[in-house]
Amino acid sequence: MELTLKKRKKNTIIPGFTMTLGYTMLYLSIIVLLPLSMVFFNTFSMSWSEFWQTIAHPRAVASYKLSFGTALAAGVINVIFGTIIAWVLVRYQFPGKRIVDGLVDLPFALPTAVAGIALATLYSPNGWVGQFFDFKIAFTPLGIIIALTFIGLPFVVRTVQPVLQNLGSEIEEASASLGATRLQTFAKVIIPELLPAIITGFSLAFARSLGEYGSVVFIAGNMPMKTEITPLIIMTKLEQYDYVGATAIATVMLVASFILLLLINIIQWYTNRKFSLQ
Amino acid sequence: MSIQIQNVSRAFGTFQALKDISIDIESGELIALLGPSGSGKTTLLRILAGLEGLDEGAILFDGQNITNVSPKERGVGFVFQHYALFRHMTVFDNVAYGLKVRPRKTRPSKDEINKKVRDLLALVKLDNFADRYPAQLSGGQRQRVALARALAVEPKVLLLDEPFGALDAKVRKELRRWLRKLHNEFHVTSIFVTHDQEEALDVANRIIVMNNGKIEQVGTPEEVYEHPNSPFVYDFLGNVNLFRGRLHKGKLTQGQFEIDVPTYLDSHYEVVGYVRPHDIQIEKNQLNNESVAAKIVHIHMVGPVVQIELKREDVDEYLEAEIPKEHYKKLGIKNGDTVFIKPKQLKVFVPEDFSI
Repeated sequence: MELTLKKRKKNTIIPGFTMTLGYTMLYLSIIVLLPLSMVFFNTFSMSWSEFWQTIAHPRAVASYKLSFGTALAAGVINVIFGTIIAWVLVRYQFPGKRIVDGLVDLPFALPTAVAGIALATLYSPNGWVGQFFDFKIAFTPLGIIIALTFIGLPFVVRTVQPVLQNLGSEIEEASASLGATRLQTFAKVIIPELLPAIITGFSLAFARSLGEYGSVVFIAGNMPMKTEITPLIIMTKLEQYDYVGATAIATVMLVASFILLLLINIIQWYTNRKFSLQ
Repeated sequence: MSIQIQNVSRAFGTFQALKDISIDIESGELIALLGPSGSGKTTLLRILAGLEGLDEGAILFDGQNITNVSPKERGVGFVFQHYALFRHMTVFDNVAYGLKVRPRKTRPSKDEINKKVRDLLALVKLDNFADRYPAQLSGGQRQRVALARALAVEPKVLLLDEPFGALDAKVRKELRRWLRKLHNEFHVTSIFVTHDQEEALDVANRIIVMNNGKIEQVGTPEEVYEHPNSPFVYDFLGNVNLFRGRLHKGKLTQGQFEIDVPTYLDSHYEVVGYVRPHDIQIEKNQLNNESVAAKIVHIHMVGPVVQIELKREDVDEYLEAEIPKEHYKKLGIKNGDTVFIKPKQLKVFVPEDFSI
């Protein structure tokens, strides 16, 4: 052990490996692991049957489905439109481009409750936008998806944009001179190059959407079994001083999110493999 | 395939990249477009490939006007300076790309594509690298993949934009030789852009020297090297020493110093004589006023030719001479010595066309 450590020390040119690694571990422990472990720690005060009853309650199960389903849908929508926005911002020059570029970050800066109230007002059945539709948008899962799309947008745009910027036009020209149509160039050359960035943007937006509370509660309507998201269930339990129940649900969210993000990371690793030396 | 470039002009904003360019290129030629950066050579190449539009003029392939034909339909192979390989595809998929994107009617079968790609990879000596990704290859290997990829679509014209510019000297030389060999085998009309005169002289059948968006001279390597038609070409194709002076009755005079130039009989003030370093003769003693005293500043002695830097004693000018090693040994000169130099061959350009 000592020998291998010494060896590594000799072989690396970049200084401070032990120091920075130690700092990383300490920092992650305090900022991320410690609070998360409290969730598990709290949950352990329940018996298994209590735990199971809490997390398998039909209301809770419906909320998992809703939360993951809407977050996934919003993530997919953001991937499509976020990529288009990034494309437009990188490839074309038009008046007001900087303003549009700045607008993209707005969902980051806006307090989520403000966004939620604004969206609920717009999309309610007699709101500015809602009145044009025969079906309800606010107070349905559709409304939740809209709110989550709103808050997740910057993640995709901001991860795809720099990659697209570095892509250059040469590979497109190469593709064209080899006889490919524009559509083939887009599908076979550009999209695969962007894929790792798109996946990163998707996973960031998805993770953010899973935990989102502020903007959703206003537009969701919060009807149990129908439009009640998991973070809301946790909040409700907290308000009833059911801390253990709240952490039990949170544990489920945590484990499920962790597994999903791990899966995305594996896909990410797989697509990235080609771009690096082994 | 033969190519006619007719009166082509192209401007980028206020910058005139190409000014009224016309050249005829015959089928099977290997052409070098040589010029300093900003001379318009890459723009011309990109116009031929259809990657760049033109403001005026026309491009004809085999007599057919293809000025407005898209790059996709031109049937040209284009090799980029920085390879422009598809990073997410293996070497095999990169080479196969041009065949796989063909419409179903003209697309070869899977086995045919397979065979063709294998053949091409064998040709560029990368048979064992088919499953690697571009990131796992060296620069020279990447450029060979790019060449194989361009050749896969059986182009009628092969265009190469500074193909060896980003490679180290040794790999460059190897690829140069290889490109010439390839051209001898396939006889596809090829045009490559370079700013390296040695590369152009070494590889091409014909050189087009460009400067400031115009063609300075077109000719075989011997023609442009031995008989440059302008000071620019003389200067650009190799090192050169300048002798400024007065032209009178077949003599170029500069103070005491006189050089016989029997072919120039008219009189001019202020002309410039151009002499290649290997056309400078070095003597230890002054024979007549056809030689001039100079002090040796530096001797560079690697290989069979000795390069000597000299400073003239009459005017504040530096000269460069190249002499064979045996001759150098016979002379027995060293740094700091004063010697007498005499131009053996001199090309004079009269005022209106010297621009340096």
